[in-house]
Amino acid sequence: MKSDALRGHLDALLLATLDGGSLHGYAIIEALQRRSGGALDLPTGTVYPALRRLERAGHVTSEWSTVAGRKRRTYRLTGAGERALSDERAAWREFTTAIDGVLGGGPWPERA
Amino acid sequence: MAGAGVIEEYVGDLDLRLRGPAHVKADLLAEARDSLDDAADSYRDRGLSAEAAERRAVEEFGPLTVVAPGYQAELAVAHAATTLRTVALLIPLTSVLWELNQRFWIGPWAGFDGPPPPDWYLFAARANGHLPWVISSCAVLSLLVGRLLSRYGVSGTTLGRLAGGVAATCAVLAVSCNLAIVTGTAALDAERLLMPAPVLGAAAVFYVVLIRVGVLAKRCLALSAV
Repeated sequence: MKSDALRGHLDALLLATLDGGSLHGYAIIEALQRRSGGALDLPTGTVYPALRRLERAGHVTSEWSTVAGRKRRTYRLTGAGERALSDERAAWREFTTAIDGVLGGGPWPERA
Repeated sequence: MAGAGVIEEYVGDLDLRLRGPAHVKADLLAEARDSLDDAADSYRDRGLSAEAAERRAVEEFGPLTVVAPGYQAELAVAHAATTLRTVALLIPLTSVLWELNQRFWIGPWAGFDGPPPPDWYLFAARANGHLPWVISSCAVLSLLVGRLLSRYGVSGTTLGRLAGGVAATCAVLAVSCNLAIVTGTAALDAERLLMPAPVLGAAAVFYVVLIRVGVLAKRCLALSAV
């Protein structure tokens, strides 16, 4: 999947990867690739500024910590981030239901 | 850890492209380097040579032309926040410093001899008293609005430009108001401007802060120009 198509959804995807607990940047990238079956193809260098933007918005917090013997900046969801993720999920379900109703049912109108 | 120098060179080039607060830049670059090292380690574990692993990690990270603007936007917004905090704190602080000096060394202002001063002079005097607090409130409000706009996906460069505009406007307003009262006083009773040295010193500090705010505002615009 091309990065242009992902750009509008990157914030929601990043929030979703942090839903299970705090992660450092590279672990977030690995989680994105793993959970998408490797289909999410975006320059990993664009993820870090996006995480900082989410932090600026109050959706995540971060701190330096030592993980596996190496210092890493670790991110976790805030209450506002959890609410934003919940809203994004509801909007996504509504969107996919609507699109699926049009695209997913084969030729329309149905022919006898 | 991989050590072929490809990551080192990439991070060095990214460093050269970015401008902004040194501590924020160092933090962003440290995180980028960690991520590249993690990726290279992962590829090395899968059997690639050190150099090939680093090249793959750098390729995945993205071309500098794609990656650098996002980092620069974060540096711009960090500088913008510092600028607005400076405006919010230092302008009222130096104003209070001047007021305290004036009360200690001069005491309450005596009334003008002769006819009362014109309305515009009284207006300028009142504006001078209130303006530092209005400016401080505007800066705090701008910080809060910036946080809100971040939630709606407004970019760091846009926020940087807005902060630069707010700070520059505040500095111009403060200078204009101050010059109006100084010029008015010179016209009505020039002797009043011969104040004790500590009061003049406090006025000089006020102007130094305003110049500093002007420089910070200009830098906001320069760092946001990506």
